[in-house]
Amino acid sequence: MGVAVEVRNTAPPRLHLVFAGLGLAFLVIFSWVLFHEGAAEWRTTQARFRRLETTVKNPHQLAQAAGVGGLRQIWLPDLGRVDRCETCHLGIDDPAFARAPAPFAAHPGTWLSTHPTDRFGCTPCHDGQGQATDYATVAHQPQPFVTRPMRPLETIEANCGVCHRALDPPDAPRLAEGRRLIVESGCFSCHEIPGFEGMTFRGPSLDSIGYKVRPAWLTSWLKDPKGYLPQSKMGNFRLSSDEIGSLQGFLLSQRAQVPLDSTGVDWKKADTANGRALFGELRCVSCHAVNGRGGTAGPELTRIGDKVRRDWLFSYLKDPHRVQADTPMLQYRLSDPQWRDVTAFLLEQYSSADTGAEPPPVTYQDARVLAAGRAVFERRGCPSCHRLAAIKDAGRIGPSLAGIADRDPDELPYGTNVVRHTTDNYIFLKVLLPDTLGQTSTMPTFAFTPADAAKIALALASIRKTDLPASYVLRRPAPVPYRPGGKFGELVARYRCLSCHTVGGFGGDLSTVPLDRIGSQLQRDYLVKYLLNPGAVRVSVEARMPVFHMLPDEAKTIADYFSMVFLDDGVEQYDTRFTAEEARRGQELYGQLGCQACHQLGTKGGYVGPELSETGARLRPGWIAAWLSKPQIYKPGTLQPDYGLSGADARALTAYLTSLGRSPAAKARGGNAQ
Amino acid sequence: MTKKDVLPDPVRRSMFAIGCIAVGAATAGFLAATFRFLVPNVLYEPSRRFDIGPPSDFPPGAVTFLPDRRLYVFNGPDGFYAISSICTHLGCNVKRGGPGFECPCHGSRFDENGQVAQGPAPKALAWYALSLSPHAQLVVDLDQQVSPEFRLRA
Amino acid sequence: MSQTIGSRTLTWLDGARRSVCRIGWPATDKDRAAAMISSLFLHIHPARVSRHVLKPTYTFALGLISGILFIVLAVTGLALMLYYVPYPPEAYRSMKDLQFVVTFGIVLRNIHRWSAHAMVGVVFLHMCRVFWTGSYKPPREFNWVIGVVLLLLTLGLSFTGYLLPWDQLAFWAITVGTNIAAYAPVVGDQVKFLLLGGHMIGPMTLLRFYVLHCVMLPLAMLLLISLHVWRVRKDGLSGAEIHASPTEELAGAFPASTKTYGLMAIGKRPRASVEARDPNDEVFAWPHLLYRELLVALAVIIVLHIVSLVFMAPLEEIADPTRTPNPAKAPWYFLGLQELVHYSALMGGVIVPTLLVLALLAVPYVDRGAAGSGRWFAPERKMANTIFTSLAAVFVVLTIVGTLFRGANWAWVWPWK
Repeated sequence: MGVAVEVRNTAPPRLHLVFAGLGLAFLVIFSWVLFHEGAAEWRTTQARFRRLETTVKNPHQLAQAAGVGGLRQIWLPDLGRVDRCETCHLGIDDPAFARAPAPFAAHPGTWLSTHPTDRFGCTPCHDGQGQATDYATVAHQPQPFVTRPMRPLETIEANCGVCHRALDPPDAPRLAEGRRLIVESGCFSCHEIPGFEGMTFRGPSLDSIGYKVRPAWLTSWLKDPKGYLPQSKMGNFRLSSDEIGSLQGFLLSQRAQVPLDSTGVDWKKADTANGRALFGELRCVSCHAVNGRGGTAGPELTRIGDKVRRDWLFSYLKDPHRVQADTPMLQYRLSDPQWRDVTAFLLEQYSSADTGAEPPPVTYQDARVLAAGRAVFERRGCPSCHRLAAIKDAGRIGPSLAGIADRDPDELPYGTNVVRHTTDNYIFLKVLLPDTLGQTSTMPTFAFTPADAAKIALALASIRKTDLPASYVLRRPAPVPYRPGGKFGELVARYRCLSCHTVGGFGGDLSTVPLDRIGSQLQRDYLVKYLLNPGAVRVSVEARMPVFHMLPDEAKTIADYFSMVFLDDGVEQYDTRFTAEEARRGQELYGQLGCQACHQLGTKGGYVGPELSETGARLRPGWIAAWLSKPQIYKPGTLQPDYGLSGADARALTAYLTSLGRSPAAKARGGNAQ
Repeated sequence: MTKKDVLPDPVRRSMFAIGCIAVGAATAGFLAATFRFLVPNVLYEPSRRFDIGPPSDFPPGAVTFLPDRRLYVFNGPDGFYAISSICTHLGCNVKRGGPGFECPCHGSRFDENGQVAQGPAPKALAWYALSLSPHAQLVVDLDQQVSPEFRLRA
Repeated sequence: MSQTIGSRTLTWLDGARRSVCRIGWPATDKDRAAAMISSLFLHIHPARVSRHVLKPTYTFALGLISGILFIVLAVTGLALMLYYVPYPPEAYRSMKDLQFVVTFGIVLRNIHRWSAHAMVGVVFLHMCRVFWTGSYKPPREFNWVIGVVLLLLTLGLSFTGYLLPWDQLAFWAITVGTNIAAYAPVVGDQVKFLLLGGHMIGPMTLLRFYVLHCVMLPLAMLLLISLHVWRVRKDGLSGAEIHASPTEELAGAFPASTKTYGLMAIGKRPRASVEARDPNDEVFAWPHLLYRELLVALAVIIVLHIVSLVFMAPLEEIADPTRTPNPAKAPWYFLGLQELVHYSALMGGVIVPTLLVLALLAVPYVDRGAAGSGRWFAPERKMANTIFTSLAAVFVVLTIVGTLFRGANWAWVWPWK
C-alpha cells in the first residue's frame, strides 16, 4: 500500500519507465542465457538418440542400458586425456547399433575389443579435442587453436604407431608399408629415427670403386641414379655438373685395395652360351632381376654391362666376399673358365647398344678436384651409407626426427607449395620434394611415388614427443644377431644363408623357410641331397634356392648341424611305429579333406602347396603330425587349412604321407620312417 | 507536476510493478542457475560402471578382492556375484574373516552373504549388479544394487 | 477467535521482521534518512545528496560502474574457483571443462573476462573524469592517490588473472609482461624472480598468480575501495558546493525540500559538504540515488550478459614454452608500454611507467589551486587539462597502435587488411 504512495511522491516518473525496460531486458537476456545452455548441441543429439534407442535395441539390452542422459566422459589420468565423444557417439560400443545412423553407429571392426574405450578412450587414436561437446569444437574438421584436429581415416594409422613402436600392428598396412619403406630406403642412415635404433643401411663400400665402374656410368649415376636403375635406393642429390665432375674424379681415384684376380684368364675363349646356361643354373634371377623380372635382393642386372669393368666383375663373381666383404651375395664354387663365360655373357647380354669399349683406368691427379670431390662426398653425407676407408663416417648428417610429428606447423617451411600448413603436409612434402620447401636442402630426392611418400610420412607422423606410460607402449625386441662358429659358421658365411633365411628372427626375408626348426622338419639325407641340388618343392613359387655347387662334405656338415641343433623339442618325441590300418585311414582322409586340391601327388593335384610324392623321404613324421594339427602356429598366414584334426586323424594322415616315396628298403623295414 | 511528468499514476505504478516482477523473476532464475552451476556434470572419478575382465579371470569357487574398486567378486556354484567391501557403518574396508567379513574399524561382522551378524553396522553390505558386456567382459554397475539372490551365469 | 489468532500471528511476524530490519518501507522523510543511516551497506551514502551529482553527465556513474564491476568480478570469480585447478596442465583442462561441460560455465567465464577488461577501461575513464572535473582538489587530494593505487591494483588483478587459463595467449602475455617488469633498474630481475617463483613461468608462477589474483589483490582492493568510498562519503561529492542554488531544470524534477534535517548534524562535519549545504539543493538518497544506482547496475549486468553471449573469451592451445606465437603480446592495457619497449626498453619498461605513476600520484599536490573544481573542463584549469589530456591521448594511441596495428615481428599492419 505504502509503496505506490511513495513512488508517486518521491521517485522521478521516467525512471520507472527505464526500470521496467531494464527489468524486462534483464529477464529476456537471462532467458537467452538459459536457452543458450539448454539448446546445447549434445542435448539435441541425445534427444534424437533416445528415440532411436527404443527402436534399435531389443528389450533385453534395453533393460541393461542405464539410460542416456547427460554428459559422458572417459577419463584417462595415465594419458592425461578426457574424452567426451561418447556423449554423442552413444552406440559406439554396442553391436546392436552396427547399422545405426551417424553419430550413433557402433564402432566398425573389432577395434573396441582390442582397444577397450575405458583404457584407450577415443582421441589417442582419432585425435581431435576430446573435451569438447559439439561437432565443431571437437575438431572433426580443422579448428583454430586445436593443434591436432581429428585424423582422417587415410592417415589414422599414424596414431597406431604412437603406441605400436617398431612392432607393426597387423591391421595398419599403410603404417607397416611406410616403415618398410623407411627401412628399405635407409632413412635412418642420415636421420636418427626413434623406433629404428640399431638398424643399419649400407650401400656398397667404395674403397675399390675406381676398379669397379666405368667413368661414363658414374657420371650418369651421380646425376640421376634412377636413370640407370629405376629401383635404385639412392636418391638424386641434385648435384651441379661441377660437383659431379669433382666427385666422380674423387671416387674413381679410390683404389685402396687391389681386388682384381683375373690374371691368366683368356677372354678370347669366352663362351657366352655356356655363360647363359650357368646364369640360369645358378638361379641368379632369384636375387637379381633382368628386364624387370626376378628378385629384388640384389641389384638389377639389365644394364650391368654399362656399369662395371670386366675384370672387376670376374673377380667379384669368383669371390664376392674378398672384393666386397659386406656383400650379401653368396660364393659359388665355379672354375675360372666358368666365371669367365658368365662374365662375358653378362657384359654382352646386358648392356646398352651404345656402350662403347671399356676405357682404360684413369688416374686423377688434380689435387684441387680431388679435394673438392672429397668435400662434396662429406658434405652430402655419402659416408652415412657408403664405407670409404679414407673417410671417417661423421655420423648422421640429417636432423633427428625425434618428435617430428609435434613440430610447430607454423614454423615449418612450405616453399611455394599450396597446402594447408600442417606438420603432416610438411613431412609429406619433405619426403616427396625436399627441394621445393624454400630452403636449400641437402636431402636427396628419392623420387618416391606420392603414394609411397604418403606412407612414409604417415609412419613418421607417428613419432611424437609424448611420453606414454610404459604399459601403453609395444616394442618388438630387436633380433639377436646369429653368428655361428666353426666349420658350419664358415659355410653359413660363404653361402650367405642368412641373406635369405632367418634364425631366431635374424636374417633376410627372401626365403619363406626359417631355419630354427629345420632339423625337425626335414630328414638329414634329404637335406644333404637338397643342398647339393636344390629343386623346387613348390611348383608355383618362383624364387628358389640357388645351386651352390657345394661340396658333398659341406652339404653333410650343414645337414648334420641342422639335424642336431635346429630342432623343435615339441616335435621331436613322436612314435613313428605306424600300423597299416593307420596308413589306410590316412589315405581316406587325404581324399576326404580335399588335400589334392592344392597338393600334387603323382600326376594329379593342385599347384598351391608342395608336391607330396616324396614326402616319406623328405619330412620327418613328427613334423608332419605337428604341422597338420596346428599349421598357423608354425607358419602364421599359411594357406594350409587348420582342419582341427584329432590326434588320431593327424596320426593317420602322417602315417599315409610317411609311406609316400620311401625307398623300398625302408618300406621293407616296415613302419619306421627313419 | 511539470511537462516532463507526463505519466498518469496507474501507468507509473504498473511500470514499477513490471520492473519489480521482471527483476524478481530474473533474480530467482539467477539463483536457480547458480545452484545448477554447482552441480557437476562430469566426474573425475572411476566410472560407476566398469569392466573387471573376462569371467575366466575368476576361478570357480574363488573370491577375488578388487582393492581399487572396493569390491569382492565371487564365482559361486550358481554363478557370479559382487559384494561391496564398504562397511555400512562408517565406510571402512571390511576384510574376509571366517566365512564372512569383518570390519577392522568398529568390529562389525557380516556373514558370507554380507548380512549383519554382529556390531554397529546398520545394514547388510551392498550387492551390485553384474552383467556381461558385448565383448564378453564382466561389468559391475555400482548404481544398480541387487538382492543377495542375484547370480550371473556366464 | 480466528481473527485473534491471525492478528497475533501478524504481530509476531512483524516483530520478527523488526528484529531484522528496523524500519519498514520508508514512507516519511525521517524514515528515508533513517533507512540510509541505519543500514551498514547503505550508509556509505549520505541521507541526502546534491541534485547536481545525480545528473548523469556529471559523473557518468563511472565510479559506480567500477564498483559494480568489482562485485560482478568477485561473484563470478568465486564461482569459477569452484572448478578451477591452479596447476598446469589441469588448469587448462579446467578451462575446457568450464567451456564445455559446466552448466553456465562458459557464460560465467565470459562475464568474468569481459568485466575484467571493462573494469580496466572504466577505472581509467573514471580517473579521467575526476581529473577533467578537478575533483581531486582539496580536501580530496588523498582520495585521488587512493584512486591511482586502485587503478594499479585493477591492472594487477587483470594481469594476474590473465595467466590463469594457462593457454598460449596467457603464457606468452605474462612472459612479455613480466619481462617488461624486469627492465626496472636494480631490482627488476629480483622482482621478476619473486613474481614467477623461479626463472621461468611454471607451476609455481601459476600458484603465485592464483593466490595474488584470488586472495591478496582482491583483499587489498576491497580495503582500498572501502577507504575510497568512505572518503567520498566524508568529503562529499565534488561539484555539490558550486551548484548550491537549484537550477530551474532540476527544480522541476525534484520537489524542493522545505525542512532542515538534524540527523546529520551530530558530530563534526567535513567542511565541503556542510558549509555549502542548501536544503533546497538536496534530495533524499532514498530513493533518488539508490533507484538510479539500481538502474545502472541492471544496465551494466545486461550489457555484460549480451557481450558474454556474443563474444567468447579467448582460449588458445595449451601453454607451450617451446612455441612462441608471433607476435607475442602482453595484455592489451600494457601494449602501450610494449610499443614503447619496442623503441627503447629502458624508456618503455622503466622511465615512462615510473614517471607516469609518480606524476599521477603527485597530481593533487602539484596542481594545488582550488579553482575550477566541480565543473567539466573549467577554463581556470586549461593548462592542467591540456597536459593531462595530451598525455592520456598519447598513451591511448600507443595502446591502440600496439593492440591493433602490430603484427608478426611487431611490424606495422593495418587491422582491416
